[in-house]
Amino acid sequence: MTANVTLVFVGRLRENDSIQSLTAISFDVLLSRCDPFTGRDCTLDLREVRFISPAALVQLVASAHAIKKTGASLTLCVEDSSVRTYLVRSGFVSAIKDVATVEPAYDDASLHRFDHLHGSNPLLLEITKIQNGGALPSLLDRIVALLRTRLQYRKHDAYDVATVISEVAQNTFDHNDGTCGFLAVQTYQPRKGSRFIEIGVSDFGDGLRTTLQRNTTLRLPHTDMDLIVYATQLGVSQHQDRTRGTGLHHLLRIAAEHEGSVHIRSGSGKVTYRGDKDQGWRHTVPPMPGVQIAISMKRRST
Amino acid sequence: MEKRFPLTPFGKTLWTRDKARSIREQLETELARRAPGDTLVIDMKGIEAFDFSFANEFFGKVLLTLPRAYPHKFVIVEGLNSYTRENLISALESLGLAMIERQKKKLSLIGKVHPTDTITFETIAKAKAAVTAAALSNALSMNVTAVNERLTKLTNLGLLRRERGQSEAGREQYEYAIPA
Repeated sequence: MTANVTLVFVGRLRENDSIQSLTAISFDVLLSRCDPFTGRDCTLDLREVRFISPAALVQLVASAHAIKKTGASLTLCVEDSSVRTYLVRSGFVSAIKDVATVEPAYDDASLHRFDHLHGSNPLLLEITKIQNGGALPSLLDRIVALLRTRLQYRKHDAYDVATVISEVAQNTFDHNDGTCGFLAVQTYQPRKGSRFIEIGVSDFGDGLRTTLQRNTTLRLPHTDMDLIVYATQLGVSQHQDRTRGTGLHHLLRIAAEHEGSVHIRSGSGKVTYRGDKDQGWRHTVPPMPGVQIAISMKRRST
Repeated sequence: MEKRFPLTPFGKTLWTRDKARSIREQLETELARRAPGDTLVIDMKGIEAFDFSFANEFFGKVLLTLPRAYPHKFVIVEGLNSYTRENLISALESLGLAMIERQKKKLSLIGKVHPTDTITFETIAKAKAAVTAAALSNALSMNVTAVNERLTKLTNLGLLRRERGQSEAGREQYEYAIPA
């Protein structure tokens, strides 16, 4: 470990601060305890974490890449065996290869334990790198097929999920040059209530403000949280093109129809929508490069 | 003359703006080949879903450029299922656009359409022949100036065919028809 290290004890500050469940929400608590994008090596202590959501997974991957871009490195301390297994199974360890490390290190057998299962788990879309639109259509068709055949989603609902993923995934490469985005999907069946799907999309690119600044006709709000709300309005885009700037609007509409929630995070702002596309809850959060989106949508009864 | 442009050769699901771009280029090539007065029918039969990026790039851009780049040529959509119709309407509404849909030989407007435009279009469609502003004015019980405004708007959007005709008194006048 080098001299310039920020040690963040995620689960060990106070009992009520313990992060056992790392989600799109607790990820902000994690970031608030450090400033990992300053160019200093950073270690995140995730030893008490017992659950990681897809959104938090891709945010961690994007963070690792962003930290690497500054010339520093990220180390994650993970002890819980089920979490360690999940990090391999979800493709997380592959996604951070060469940009971050997990301690204790995995042995070779553990790393390749699930290679033969790649793409076979209907509950999960492993972390997928999004660089351009080329591979996206076949990926979306695969997601629709999984939802339809294994999880009995209605056809239109499966297409709604694919549409939502498509819109946010395309934003990652539309808005960024030379960086990429990451996508992960997991479905859950709670003991009570409907099955739901969680989608995480995260990049470490320019972020909403820099992206929208390219369109000089826009008057951007001053705060990042207001900027996010502004970006969800029809026609707000980096391009002066009438056919652009509808993706986030339709995302919120579809998520609301599925009693879902959407977290949109960029810079130091975050807006959360819960079942209402017009009512966003604004938060100031620790700054992070790029755009991070977490979507949760219920499966509607058949 | 009518020419069909089926989308099923491109897959039953149409995702991404990139995919739409290449299909739109083929559609525009076909539009360029058509003669004035011709209609290109976008055949959606067999298409199960598309995203909004696809709809905006394909339908949105074609409809925005149609009246200027391909004057006197028309585009109609056909073969939509309930899901694709709902999403196409949402996409068109969010872009402030409208287009003609044909369902079982019946033409109607979908997208961002003012009710008065729908009434005007349906009245012309029911006439089953080209009508003048004066005739439409009688049918709708409106003054000719207001009717002319509606007809000009729909014509400029590429939703009505305008032809030169002659009144009984021998004066030149415009006649309007639906592009079927």
